[in-house]
Amino acid sequence: MSGRFRARDQVAIVGYAQSPVTRHADRSLGALTVETARAAIADAGLTPEQVDGFVTATLFPTSGAHAVVDGVSVVSADWLAARLNPNPRYAAGFSGLGQIPGSMALAVNAVAGGAAEHVLVHRALYNPAGSYHDTGAAEFRGGLQWTAPQGFFGPLAMMGMTYTEYVQRYGASREALAEVVVEARKNGARLPWSHWSGRPLSVEQYLAEPMLADPIGRLDCDIPVDGAAAFVLTTAERARDLPHRPVHVSGYATGAPPRRRLPAHWPLDDLMAAGATTAERLWASAGMGLDDIDLVQVYDGFSPLVYLWLEALGRCPVGEAHRYVRDGGIDSDRPGADPVLLSGGSLGNGRMHGVPQLLECYLQVSGRAGDRQRPGVTTALSCHSSPHLGGALVYSAQPGAGV
Amino acid sequence: MTSSGRPLPVPDPLSAPFWEAAARHVLTLSRCSDCGTLTHPPDVVCDACGSTDPRFTATPVDGRGAVRSWTVVRQSFLPGFADLVPFVLVDVQLVDPALAGQPDVRLVGRLLDGVDAPLAAGAAVRVAFEQLSPDLAVPAFELAAS
Ligand SMILES: [Zn+2]
Repeated sequence: MSGRFRARDQVAIVGYAQSPVTRHADRSLGALTVETARAAIADAGLTPEQVDGFVTATLFPTSGAHAVVDGVSVVSADWLAARLNPNPRYAAGFSGLGQIPGSMALAVNAVAGGAAEHVLVHRALYNPAGSYHDTGAAEFRGGLQWTAPQGFFGPLAMMGMTYTEYVQRYGASREALAEVVVEARKNGARLPWSHWSGRPLSVEQYLAEPMLADPIGRLDCDIPVDGAAAFVLTTAERARDLPHRPVHVSGYATGAPPRRRLPAHWPLDDLMAAGATTAERLWASAGMGLDDIDLVQVYDGFSPLVYLWLEALGRCPVGEAHRYVRDGGIDSDRPGADPVLLSGGSLGNGRMHGVPQLLECYLQVSGRAGDRQRPGVTTALSCHSSPHLGGALVYSAQPGAGV
Repeated sequence: MTSSGRPLPVPDPLSAPFWEAAARHVLTLSRCSDCGTLTHPPDVVCDACGSTDPRFTATPVDGRGAVRSWTVVRQSFLPGFADLVPFVLVDVQLVDPALAGQPDVRLVGRLLDGVDAPLAAGAAVRVAFEQLSPDLAVPAFELAAS
């Protein structure tokens, strides 16, 4: 059994839209998403009646006690379809982390299998009023009974423990992690839609921020936002007749299933083992290796994940990513460097959960990045979430054989 | 809610034996009746042998462990912890002889020695219990002489 993806480069992204990313939008998340979806469909040269597939992932990543209300705090595929094309052939939602590779895989498979011809993939993120993660819960059932009463709760402590392991093993400095955040904010500051537009960060500003869960400081995690993005996918054949240069999906992979652990317990070894599996599966699926990829975009919802993805993909040996970053390895303004945060990431956009990495790959391969366009990008790779719960995608300007 | 103000675990059929022992300040792991593997927490299918009827028994262990990682929590999102921050959480790999040759068993809990206690990867700890209510205690850890 080979890991080759039989639909390799047979399905393409043909249009997109990205809403402004703000702390709190001036309209409901549902309205923002409908507008963004309509813009993406128009961008692809299509009308809503032609969109016969809808896919999303609705995860609302809060540990707090916020209500999940469709159209308000999440936007499901069914909710959006009902307002754009109430008679779709396919509507599906991905559950779990790694929402972008998860929902993109559903969409690519639906198009490749003929379940739908034009599929809209969207992601809508909501920032509730009040504290994002606070809870007043007096009792915990299920998995959280093993952690929350002991004081272990929420993503900050989770990442604090993962990153302590990295720091202890490899001697990463706070100054090196500062370079990750400063790079994300530098690139994010150049994006008109970003929450951080026009607001780069200095190393000094980063270092002045307090710790929240050592060694994770306030600026090591992305800021919650309201925002929506949408992408239109169709067959490579159909894509030839549409206005923009198509970006084909060459393959995708995850490291799943993760080893069973306590909730929010992310031992470094678990992440790295699954990361190696993800990379191996990805190269087999896409028929490419890292050397064939012109642009890599890594996930950064927590800054240390940049190191872990760089190492999982093989860009640097395990334990070396902090030095690679410290030496200017990811500086988008340095010729010959590897600008893995060109998208601005989550740290430079706001908590858009993997959208920036996908968007940047699409924009660069389709030649639509404007002032930020880099020459000669014909292949790209985006990774999302953590190496053990997320996944990665490879894209190509070239359609697959037989198209 | 208790006098501590901290949230409580709600025992279920799988977890009740653990919490009953914890109330007596005894740490237990769940032993699969089919393959004998110790695990924590118990699950509906045994990770080790795939048994769909593991009939777990709560097996006392001595509560010694080695610190694999830690964090200092400076902002807690839970009720009842505001007066406790900053506090240390430790990720502990239990080292009971009964676990030799088995998949690692890890617990996460507070280190009761405080934020200034010297801590390093591999540091020896032993289990301690925090009494949250008259009939409920949760595991935590203290540094031990190695
Ligand atoms: Zn078993």
